[in-house]
Parts: sequence; structure tokens; C-alpha cells
Amino acid sequence: MKRLQENRIDQISKYLQASKLDPELLPEILDHLACEAEESLWDGQPFDQIYRDMVKSADAQTLLNLSVDHQNLLAMEKSLNDIVFENRNKSYGAYDLRNGYGRTVQRSVVMGVAFFLLLVMFPKLYARLTPDPKPEDIAYIVEANPVDIKMEEPPIPPAREEPAPVQKSVKSVTPEVLPDNKVIVEELPPVVDELDNAQPSTETVDGVEDLDVIVPPVENAPAPKASAVGVESRKEETFTHVEQSPQYAGGNEAMAAFLRKNLKYPRPASQAGVQGKVFVQFTVGSDGKIENATALKGIGFGCDEEAVRVVKMMKDWMPGKQAGVPVRVRFTLPIAFQLD
Amino acid sequence: MENNTTSNEYVRGTLKTIVLNLLAEHDRMYGYEITQEVKERTGGAIALTFGALYPVLHKLEQEGLLLTESVEVDGRLRKYYSLTHRGNETARTKTNDLERFIDAVRLLLAPRNLATE
Repeated sequence: MKRLQENRIDQISKYLQASKLDPELLPEILDHLACEAEESLWDGQPFDQIYRDMVKSADAQTLLNLSVDHQNLLAMEKSLNDIVFENRNKSYGAYDLRNGYGRTVQRSVVMGVAFFLLLVMFPKLYARLTPDPKPEDIAYIVEANPVDIKMEEPPIPPAREEPAPVQKSVKSVTPEVLPDNKVIVEELPPVVDELDNAQPSTETVDGVEDLDVIVPPVENAPAPKASAVGVESRKEETFTHVEQSPQYAGGNEAMAAFLRKNLKYPRPASQAGVQGKVFVQFTVGSDGKIENATALKGIGFGCDEEAVRVVKMMKDWMPGKQAGVPVRVRFTLPIAFQLD
Repeated sequence: MENNTTSNEYVRGTLKTIVLNLLAEHDRMYGYEITQEVKERTGGAIALTFGALYPVLHKLEQEGLLLTESVEVDGRLRKYYSLTHRGNETARTKTNDLERFIDAVRLLLAPRNLATE
């Protein structure tokens, strides 16, 4: 394949430029004509001849039409800006601004609308976001609630009811001497009723004791005493708290006077300068006698012994009473030793 | 010459379809190649002038049916044209349309033959 020489191509190019062909079209047309020319060269025609033919076919009018066509085509794409800025300085900046105006407006509108919507929707969004933690909070509360419900659910009253009679029965049945058969026989409520009736006739000892605690005393104050003779070997129940506590005959003042009169400060204690309170525990029997006097908590140096001695010296007390019946009561008396 | 101008008259309406069809057959072509192809295939019956061809190519390109790429060959910039996806579809429909049109024209032009039969 024969190639066109550079100068030939330049010649064609110059011709096209001279014919005022659109510069955008020039390379393409130049290539086209060059290809044609090369084809003709291949056929053996001289270049001059080829060039003449070329100028004839690609005359000024044809080239002008091409340019005009191209311009028209571009014009369809051209905007108003291109027309306004034709032959003006486009690099100045105003052209770019005006060119990008549409895009700028579009973008700003989108952004503005988005921002506005966000602003309007924000409370809703926030509200939609916040409830999420709320259920969690409630969940925590719910976790705590079942605990309360569980406390309520197990019905405690029946549970209490059950042990209560059992305890009573146990207490009433305490006598270890008796065989189990009797315990079974003595179902509580009916037995009490029976005893109610049977008591005067002096039946079983247990029954009487039960009655002592619950019902009868007003009627038969002497009854327990009578029966007590037989029972004395058994321990009389000792109370720590009674409805009417035992009292020194003559009252607290009389007792204080008695103590003042009889208490002697032990020498070792006075020498050592010891002072304080000695707690003497003793039992006031149902007959008012003082038994088992011991120093619960003392200060030593003979004070404890002295306190116990004086307490034992005391006359009979007025016994403590439970439901009107005199009972044994354990009593604690603080005795103060004080140096003058 | 006269023959040529009349053929040009018909070519003008069908040039777009011809170009699209040719490009559909080839991967990519440049302007001169298209004219040569047309010339060879028709035995010179249809000769495309560059004055008619390039405006059509540019128009198709602007319509988005063609893609162009410039490649430097022998020191000259050669502009290759290829079909876009949409160009392919258009080429198919346009070719079909033209075929139907040619059939119709044939029917119009050959009533005598039918009559003799």
C-alpha cells in the first residue's frame, strides 16, 4: 500500500483550511480524502491528477455544506448561554456560573427540600427512635414485678393456719409420758369442748393444763392448784411475759427501800472502786415465792453474790397473773451498786 | 452521472439505515471504510460521497446511536464509529422497516408482471 507523503497531506490539509472547513471536521475529512488519494495512487494515477479530481469532488460548496450541517447539528445542542457568550471571554467565570446555574439550582432545591423535610420529620423520627429504649425500661420493671407477685402467690394464710394448730396441739400434748395413741385421739377442737364439760370432774392432767392456758381460769381458780398437787413433779410452766407482771409486795418504792436497807457494799468492790448494775434473774412462783435467784450479769468483787443474797431475802411477791391465774414468771431485776 | 444523482436521491432516504446496518455487521468502521464497503458490495451502483456520509454519521452520533473513538493511523487521526446498545436495536428495526418498504415498493412497481401471470 502506497502512503501519501507528509507534504501531500499538508497540501490537502491547507486546501481544506483555505476552504474554511470546520476545524472539528478537518481531521476526519482529511483522513477520508487521504485514503481516497492513496487508493488512487495504488491504481497508478499520478498525485497531481488525483489532487485535481479531489478538489473537483470536494469543492468549496460541498465543504461549506458539511460545515453548515455540522454547525446546525451543534446548534441543536447549543444553549442560550452559548449564543450569548459567542465570541466572548468564556474563561472569565460568568460563563461557567451561568452554565452550571441549572445544576446548582437543582442541587440546592434537593438539598433544601431534604433539609426541610428532615426538620419537619425530626420530631417524628425522634419519637420513633426513642420508644425503643422505653420497652427496655419497662422490661426491667417487669423483671422486678414477678418477684412481688411470687411473694403474693404462695397463700401464706393456709400455711400459717396449718402450723398454728399443730403447734398448739404439740404444746398441749407436751407430756412426754403419754403414748402416741392418745395424741392421735385428742384431736384438738373436740377435745377442748369435751374438757370444757369434763373439767370439774377432774379428768386427765393434760387436759386441765390445756384449759389453764385457754379458757377456764375465772371459774375454777382453785382447780389447777388442786390438780397441781398431783402434777407437781412435772415442771410448772414458766412465763417470761405475762399479762400482769409479778410485783414486790408494797410496790417498787417498798422494794427500793428494802434493797437500800439490806444491801451492803462488798468491801472488795468498794476498795477497788467498782460500781455498776447486777442483773439478778429469779423466778416468782405462782405462790409468790422467789426461786432460782442467779446473777445473770454482774460486776464481780462480791457484788453479784451480795445482790443474789438480798434478793433471796425478799419476802413473797405478788405472783404474776396470766388470764387472772397466778403463774410462775421469770423475772430479771437490775440492782445498782453505786459508790457515794 | 445522471444515473448517479438519481441513485443519490434514493440513497438519501435510506443512508441512515445502510450505515447502521453496515456497522451492525462490523465491529467498528471509519468513514472511508464505509464508502468503500458500499461501493464494493453494490458493484459501484451506490457511491456514497463524503459530503453525504459524514453529516449522517455525526447526526447518529449525536442521537446516541454511535460511539466514536479516534485512533492515530499513519500520522493521521482516524475516527472509528461503532454501534451503541441502543444503536443495535435501532439498526434492527430500521433494517426491518426498510425491507418491508422495499417489498411494498416492489409490489407497486410490478403490477404488470403479476397481471401477465
